[in-house]
Amino acid sequence: MRIIDLAVKDLRQVVRDRKSALFLVAMPIVFMLFFSLIFGAQGAQRDPRLPVGFVNHDLASSVSTDLFSLLEGSDAIRPVVLDQKQAGKAGELVRDGKLAAALIVPDGFGQVALAARQPKLTLIVAADNPAGQTASNAVDAAVTRLLANVQIAQLSAEAFETSAQLASETERQAYLEQALTLSNAAWRNPPLSVTVEGAGATERDQPSWQNAYNQTSPGTIIQFTIYSLIMCAGVLVSERKSGAMQRLLTTPISRAQIIAGHTLGMLVVVLAQQAVLIAFSYFVLGIQYLRVPLAILLVAGAYALWVVSLGMLIGAVARSDDQVVMWSLIAMFVFSALGGAWFPLEFTGKAFAAIGHLTPSAWAMDGFQNIIMRGLGLSSVLLPVGILLAYAAAFFALAVWRFRFE
Amino acid sequence: MNTQRAIEVQDLHKDYGEIHAVQGISFDVCTGEIFSLLGPNGAGKTTTLAMLSCLLEPTKGDALVMGHSIRHEPMAVKAAIGVIPQEIALYADLSARENLSFWGKMYGLRGTALRERVDEVLGIIGLADRQKGPVAKFSGGMKRRLNIGIGLLHKPQILFMDEPTVGIDPQSRRNILDSVKELNRQGMTILYTTHYMEEAQELSDHIAIMDQGKVIAYGTHEELVKIVGELDRIDLMISGESERVLEQWRATAGVHQASAEDKKVTLLVDDSNLVLPRLFEAAVRSGVRITAVEIAEPNLEAVFLHLTGRALRD
Amino acid sequence: MKMLDIALKDLLRYLRTAFLVVMMFVVPLLMTGIFYFAFGGQGSSAGFNVPVTRVQIVNLDRPPAQSSRLAFGEMLIEFLQHEKLATLLQVTIAPDGASAREAVKNRSAEVAVIIPANFTSAALTPGEGATITIVQDPARTLGPGIVKGLISQFVDGLVGAKIAASVVMEQFGQRGIAVQADTLQNVAVQYAAWAVAQGQSRGEGKNPALELEAPPRKVEPASEKTVVAGLIMTGMMLFFVFYTGAGTAESIIQEDEEGTLARLFTTPTLHSVILGGKFIGVFITIIVQLIVLLIASALAFGIHWGELPAVVLLSIGLVVAAAGFGVFVMSFVKNMRQAGPVVGGVLTLSGMVGGLFTTGIQNLPAAYETIQLLTPHGWALRGWKLALAGGGVSDVLLPALVMLAMGAVYFAVGAFLFRKRFA
Repeated sequence: MRIIDLAVKDLRQVVRDRKSALFLVAMPIVFMLFFSLIFGAQGAQRDPRLPVGFVNHDLASSVSTDLFSLLEGSDAIRPVVLDQKQAGKAGELVRDGKLAAALIVPDGFGQVALAARQPKLTLIVAADNPAGQTASNAVDAAVTRLLANVQIAQLSAEAFETSAQLASETERQAYLEQALTLSNAAWRNPPLSVTVEGAGATERDQPSWQNAYNQTSPGTIIQFTIYSLIMCAGVLVSERKSGAMQRLLTTPISRAQIIAGHTLGMLVVVLAQQAVLIAFSYFVLGIQYLRVPLAILLVAGAYALWVVSLGMLIGAVARSDDQVVMWSLIAMFVFSALGGAWFPLEFTGKAFAAIGHLTPSAWAMDGFQNIIMRGLGLSSVLLPVGILLAYAAAFFALAVWRFRFE
Repeated sequence: MNTQRAIEVQDLHKDYGEIHAVQGISFDVCTGEIFSLLGPNGAGKTTTLAMLSCLLEPTKGDALVMGHSIRHEPMAVKAAIGVIPQEIALYADLSARENLSFWGKMYGLRGTALRERVDEVLGIIGLADRQKGPVAKFSGGMKRRLNIGIGLLHKPQILFMDEPTVGIDPQSRRNILDSVKELNRQGMTILYTTHYMEEAQELSDHIAIMDQGKVIAYGTHEELVKIVGELDRIDLMISGESERVLEQWRATAGVHQASAEDKKVTLLVDDSNLVLPRLFEAAVRSGVRITAVEIAEPNLEAVFLHLTGRALRD
Repeated sequence: MKMLDIALKDLLRYLRTAFLVVMMFVVPLLMTGIFYFAFGGQGSSAGFNVPVTRVQIVNLDRPPAQSSRLAFGEMLIEFLQHEKLATLLQVTIAPDGASAREAVKNRSAEVAVIIPANFTSAALTPGEGATITIVQDPARTLGPGIVKGLISQFVDGLVGAKIAASVVMEQFGQRGIAVQADTLQNVAVQYAAWAVAQGQSRGEGKNPALELEAPPRKVEPASEKTVVAGLIMTGMMLFFVFYTGAGTAESIIQEDEEGTLARLFTTPTLHSVILGGKFIGVFITIIVQLIVLLIASALAFGIHWGELPAVVLLSIGLVVAAAGFGVFVMSFVKNMRQAGPVVGGVLTLSGMVGGLFTTGIQNLPAAYETIQLLTPHGWALRGWKLALAGGGVSDVLLPALVMLAMGAVYFAVGAFLFRKRFA
């Protein structure tokens, strides 16, 4: 009963401190809105593909026209024709981020290609950034397709010339260009294709696995739940500083009960915060959190318990409000980054990913994504939940052991 | 005593909208004397001190501090005074030495002169062996000593001390009072505010009693006590509720004033021999027990009671 | 002189406050360090440090009897199991489609590949089509992307050969020349050989027809991860420098509450000198922070911040902008209780609008890039990115001047409000 009384007291204080409450809930919503606006606007741009400059010095040839068409057909990039003046500054435009890359088609390119010699194109690109890499890969694919068509045209001409003569160079040229046209057309309906499905996408209640916010939504929830460490730890530090803690100890309540009471109060607040964020993600961003509500509840609850236990540990050892904020912020940054809340661990180096997967935050991400992206069921969250609870138990034990009451 | 005037306060007013915190006070402080402003909380003492320190601009009136007007020559005034605020105003994350050095610089001390004076003040306040550690780790008494030391750095001609003994233990208070007397003995003029009658009585050459923004009495201790005249002061300790008997005692013949603080009731009476039995009768009628009686000469407490009808600590 | 005394006293206090030291130096370097560690070695075409992708593959392909020696399904599997791909893929043969899908579902594989029954037949028979199905873990991008790329490359080789044959047939037919079967076969085989050679070159990172050229930089970065670190550190540095501007200006409010400001006002020191000293303290602290961060990040992460004159110019602009903004924001704060949420909230919002949290994201909407320039943060980011890319004084002059102007205006307003308050 005393535990509940203590928890209710904490809740009352939190509700009265409107500024903190605002922070706990308003900040993450603002963040999610902000990023959804950015990504949404990015997606809704007239053409969200990366711009790649196209400088064509080989205007007479149909080969360079074909190349331009192939670039236009790309999913990832869109060609932007550069005029004379811009062409001279193509490199600077790439350097300054105005273009992801610039492709220079030299004079005579088509002729060289069709003459079965080694044609060369120049691609100005910063290979060290993601946009550059994407542009480079997309241009490579288009150029490879172009060369394939050129190869087909040459093979056809060579085959023809074993059976009959092509009267003149002009006729040969015409033959090659016809072959190019036929080849281009045939690629538009290839006989063999590759299709990609998300596992779980064939389930009756489909998770929308290609929702762009499937990473940022749980990531934001993970990060901002850790932010509530400041409040969790702060409750203990203020109680100690004001002398109320010592006064509590003169009443018939044990130390363990004190910690349990604070834990309960803070858990309610953290769960409420998560509920708001999950609701926002579900209704506004369309993330499928309610596919398996019990699973989400378990993951959110176990994660909240771990965060509160860490808050108790920080509160146990911190001597001032400043120290609380400092340790809480460091924990937020480290656990968010290592847990894959900011960027998928898949994209990081092996060592980083290995360390990251040890963290509770990574397990919580896993738990959420199993439901919202992978279309899995309740059983898929049991392991993450178990690990989170184990971490929580360990941190609580540490907190009780290290607790300073004055 | 020197009759030259260190401070001349001329009809000083301070209003905050409709609130008249200080209402036309005037008094003089002679050079080399200890002058106390005595009064309850809210009397206007701190506001008066703030005006004389050039922290607040008076609404009306002026004062001369060592001949300099607080309105027109604030820098000269500040150079002449040392201020010891009621609340501890120190940089807790700096050491005692660093605090003193910094504040010394603010008073215009530099180089060797600053260094030597800091050493001297550390000796005066007894913190020479704790000069390097952060002030945050000092006890309350040590912080108070440092608080005082800062006010002494530039050897001011006048020291303003705003209720320096509030909320401290008896031994520290004793030390502060002794320090005040020693500083005065060395020639410093001290303007001291307090609501403790005993302090004003012990320290002061002259006392101004303030209440509700006005100076209601001014003079030496003897002169002030004479206001009460031939009246006797009776202090009674009672058990039971004082309200039950206070009205009856006020109505008793020979009683001029009566005021209660907790279980202690102070009365000003014509003749204690005649009035005392009547007080006992009234107590019996009210069902209140008198547990101790003290008959004494009137003191400043009695003066305040006589002038305002309230106890100094009401 | 007294102004400097006050400023240096403040600097000493700030450097003794663990919280401020952590926020000024430790956190920005820690955050960048995390990113540097996370992405170390990423991005170079020579080697992608990607975890091995587990692939379950089901070969349902039944080659037609007459061309049983051409089993493209098996060839695809051999291709994926090639030793050169061993560091990228771990390929297991699954008995059927259902178990392969299940393996991805229960996360014992990242990708399942299902080769349809008519795969070889469709490759050889005109008018027939087939589709390879890739089932992936939805939470993965890189691994499935690599598998798709490899399979597409293989499939394109077959498609190209088929198209080559069909083009030959079409062109011969139009000219009234009969096509021999072995002509078609030769064309297909020659095409396939060409496709294999192309594939090998591309697998080594070189398209023979494409010459890559880096954009003209005045300074070449030490490595790809230095570039990543540079961008991240820029965002962190700018955010925490602006934070310091507000955090140090907060000391005016703090001193007011602690009583030391009133005490300062009782000394023979002009109010303007006292406030001036506090403001100078803000400037000096930011300068110290900036110098430490620039040097530490250059040493730790190999970041080359740019040409020295450009860096100095930008530093001056940044110091004025951050100090001015901090003084401005704090001039509206009444007490320390308000200060925390105000500092945290305003700085986070302005950092967000200014683009400090999206430094690593390319191709942002043009409207957003314009909005960033409403804040001094946005101009700071623009200038520092130019310097990182090797820009000179003429390149960074505009951002630096705008920062100076904005900072000066903010400072003037903030200082005016403080003076009014403590007149």
